Amino acid sequence: MTTETQIDSYLTALRLHLGPLTIAEREEIVKEIAAHVRDSAEESGASVETVLARLGSAEALAAQYRDGLLIRQASRSISPLVLLRASLRLATKGVFGVLVFFVAIFGYAIGGGLVLTALVKPILPANTGVWFDGQGHFMSSGVLFPPPGSQAHEVLGFWYIPLALIVGSLTLLATTWAIRTSLRVSQRWQSRL
Amino acid sequence: MAKTRAIAAEADQPDRWEAQLRKGAVEMAALASLWRGRLYGLEIIRFLENHSRLALAEGTIYPILNRLKAEGLLTSEWVEAEAGHPRKYYSLTETGRLRLRVMAEAWASFSRGLTELLQPVLEEQETML
Repeated sequence: MTTETQIDSYLTALRLHLGPLTIAEREEIVKEIAAHVRDSAEESGASVETVLARLGSAEALAAQYRDGLLIRQASRSISPLVLLRASLRLATKGVFGVLVFFVAIFGYAIGGGLVLTALVKPILPANTGVWFDGQGHFMSSGVLFPPPGSQAHEVLGFWYIPLALIVGSLTLLATTWAIRTSLRVSQRWQSRL
Repeated sequence: MAKTRAIAAEADQPDRWEAQLRKGAVEMAALASLWRGRLYGLEIIRFLENHSRLALAEGTIYPILNRLKAEGLLTSEWVEAEAGHPRKYYSLTETGRLRLRVMAEAWASFSRGLTELLQPVLEEQETML
């Protein structure tokens, strides 16, 4: 392989793996790396092969840019999908990420679940609520099929709707905030990779 | 057996710890290299090699510069060079200068405190040698 084809095939691979970035960003990165390879080879007298090896694989290099972008976008996003994707990516990097991912799943499930049951309450009033038994012990809550027996009594009535909406929304907000904060913190750690 | 392994693992720790410490400082070092004026990527890499003991994988610096730029701490411009291809020069923004000053102060006071704390440890090592 000639020097030029070696550089070209590295840059092609880089471009390919930089897929999610905008074309302008991608081309700018490729142009910068191309300049680096030429300058570095010229300056140190090292072969293009050595310079490329020092850069690491095109895939690994592109992954660092992609992770940066993913986390940057997610730390400003409120979309559960974007945030879950970013925390899933973080989870591949260590214990902290795994923890963040589980908090994310848990928080979204609880928050989303509460909001959903609030919406179901007007449709299935008898099946939805918070039940206590005769002795005043908590039995169950949510949407139940069939509804609990006669020994249980539902305590909230239609107050269930605003309460579940508020608690559910607060849980979703807290989850979003927690993921975004964790992503921002992890961004500082990214430079350690 | 397990104990020997634990001791060996412990003796291994300082290396990894030192690597983490260095890598953790890369962001600040990259900003600091631009304090006196604009540089392009390879110049930043060489600057860090010569002025600090931060030898880093060459591929590491570019994504970091990209991120610092996205955070508004750096700007960049393409400059035509005699080399025949343009180079991407980075410089600090006003926000970047401010951030770096805060980082430098925090770092200096932190390391002063630690040096004092470690003084007895280092002195004892000297007498042992």
